[in-house]
Amino acid sequence: MRVMMLSAQDARKLRPSMLAGAILIIGIIVVYLVQLALNMILTQDAYYLRELKIERKALSTEVAIIQEEVDSLASPQNLADAANRLGMVANPSSVLLDIEKDRIFGTPEPVSAENAVVASANLVANSALGATTEFTASSIAATGFEVSVTTSQAGSSEVALVNGRIPASPTR
Amino acid sequence: MGNHAAMTRRLSAFVLVLVVLVGALGYRLVDFQVVRADEIQEKSLERRSQTQILRALRGDILDANGEVLARTVFRYDVNAAPKNVGPVYRLEDGVRTEYSVEAIAMELAPLLGLTVEDLLAKLAGNSEYSSLARRVDSATYDQIKSLGVPWIYFDQLSDRLYPNGAVAGNLIGFVSSDGTPLAGLERQYNTCLAGVDGQETYERSAEGVRIPTSNITTQPTQDGGNLNLTIDSNLQFFAQQVLADTVDELNAQWASAIVVEVETGKILAAAEAPSVDPNNPAASDADNRGSKIIQFAFEPGSIMKAISTSMVLDTGTADEYDTVTAPDRLPLDYGEFIKDSFGHDDFELSLAGVLRYSSNTGIYGFGIQIDKETRYNYLQKYGFGSTTALNFEGESSGILHPVEDWTYSDNYTHLFGQGIAVTSLQMAYAYQAIANGGVRLDPMLVESCTSPDGELLYVPQQNATRVVSEATADLNLLLMEKVVEFGGVGKTAAVPGYRVAGKTGTAEIREGVGYGDRYAISFYGVAPVENPKFVVGVTIYKPEGVTNSAKATPPFKAIMSQALKHYRVPPSTTVSPDYIPSNRYGEPGA
Repeated sequence: MRVMMLSAQDARKLRPSMLAGAILIIGIIVVYLVQLALNMILTQDAYYLRELKIERKALSTEVAIIQEEVDSLASPQNLADAANRLGMVANPSSVLLDIEKDRIFGTPEPVSAENAVVASANLVANSALGATTEFTASSIAATGFEVSVTTSQAGSSEVALVNGRIPASPTR
Repeated sequence: MGNHAAMTRRLSAFVLVLVVLVGALGYRLVDFQVVRADEIQEKSLERRSQTQILRALRGDILDANGEVLARTVFRYDVNAAPKNVGPVYRLEDGVRTEYSVEAIAMELAPLLGLTVEDLLAKLAGNSEYSSLARRVDSATYDQIKSLGVPWIYFDQLSDRLYPNGAVAGNLIGFVSSDGTPLAGLERQYNTCLAGVDGQETYERSAEGVRIPTSNITTQPTQDGGNLNLTIDSNLQFFAQQVLADTVDELNAQWASAIVVEVETGKILAAAEAPSVDPNNPAASDADNRGSKIIQFAFEPGSIMKAISTSMVLDTGTADEYDTVTAPDRLPLDYGEFIKDSFGHDDFELSLAGVLRYSSNTGIYGFGIQIDKETRYNYLQKYGFGSTTALNFEGESSGILHPVEDWTYSDNYTHLFGQGIAVTSLQMAYAYQAIANGGVRLDPMLVESCTSPDGELLYVPQQNATRVVSEATADLNLLLMEKVVEFGGVGKTAAVPGYRVAGKTGTAEIREGVGYGDRYAISFYGVAPVENPKFVVGVTIYKPEGVTNSAKATPPFKAIMSQALKHYRVPPSTTVSPDYIPSNRYGEPGA
């Protein structure tokens, strides 16, 4: 190690620059601050992501609840029971319209519960049946709607008189 | 000087200690950072990281219209940690309110299906685990969760839900509580339906929060495919309703109905009563959890006669005008005899007459003229004696002995459906062959398997077998139409507006060495005759006090009518030809 004698002026020249030091320190601080900010944002996002996942799970549960309810309401067992409660029976005599050939097939006939071929109430097991249609003839009547099925003898109507042909529509 | 030397010694000693310390630290540094770096990093990652199994969802089973017959849902096991059980605090209008364990138990008990006493017993103690309820549905889970009880926790499980219950339950099958497929299509098509579980690893902080960008999916999840059936669930439900009613009315052991689309060979409905609800298979007897249509063989009886008449026509043994004399009782060699189901004078029967009166002696008169090897070959081509292409688990091949093993009586009883056993499926497809111009198609129950994004993964192959000529098949159908036009029981199978062909069957059921006093009654038919669309086959097994097939025609009529209506088939515009002889004198008309 050598020790040299310097003038005060030279010694000042060799002294580290305050500016450079300040820039270095500020630079380091800025880098740390940026890193801190990024970390904060990332951490915040992680919590936000977690919240969103919890929300997604809650919504998925809600969808599942509604889906199962819809499944139950749409099941043939529920529909058969609901129709039966309203006094509906299946009518095997159907009438088909052939639009292309302007033909009517079959004769409409009213059906009553007594001579219906099929029991309309559900006879097929379904233990998954949860939500069911709640309306009945009496509950609908309570709402003020008229509950009745009127059968008209369409066989004597104008439709059947035109030699089994569908009357031409004025719109075509 | 002395001081300087002492100072130098102390300095040297200090430097030496420093060098040793720095060296030791340096050694540890190199050891940690270089030599054991990988090992340490791995241990560190292990502590931070969490591996999670990503459960794949089992695919849906859908009917021909896309209606879901089986889907995967989530269920929840509800558990508690009794050692943590204590009062619950809730903020109500900004006020912190304490709820005792008893008060919480009163809220929880009805949701868990427990009494308050039972629930409190489960919550007592100092253990870390107590199961409160298993497999509660999403609605219950949501209600319990909303109570905000900190010592209740949940385990999520995937489960199978069959929204339509027993509709097609005998075909769909079911899975065990751990998701293992146990029966039916669930089991047969497990490769299509089952997904592949994935695996994901991520790092988490001390608070348990996932560290962003740290997750690595080591194995992606692959959800199961969807199985698309040919079954129409509406028609299936209708048929099951009809059969449930029939079984109840006749006190029968079981009843089945199959609906086949003639042109495609698709099974539109394969209904049974009793049926099985796949949501709760334990509620059904083990005997009723499978598909009798596919798995149960029975002696078909007279429905076989329509098959025999087609052989007579196809071999040129006789035509529609030829007749045989048919007594009500025909003695044979070895003291055996054949008799008809009712006493009558000698009839002069054509092939249509044989079907119309369901005469055993008549079909013997025609059929015995064909050598048995030829008849055996026809029976094989019709599909009897072998399983079908469905490959349904436990499918029965029926019983058709090799021709060289036929006994003396087999030689003639096969003509009217005794001594041979068939499944409803086989018989329906024999009729499908007649309705389809003599070509038998492989049965189709599964349309395809598709991936969750709709990609086609599997389509079953379908083969066609020419059994009889087209002319034979068409003529045979006209002969069968006489059963519905004039037959005593057959007339009750008529569907107003449509031409229907078919055949009744009242088969004896073997019990021990002989036959019992109950029958398998059936009606298999085709409509409309001029352009066949559907085959419907109804079998009622062991109805009480029923000795003819009159009780099999109402369900046939109901199901056939529904199929024709459901698929918008226009009524027939032609009538049955009046030149075909079918009466007891071998003449046309009634």
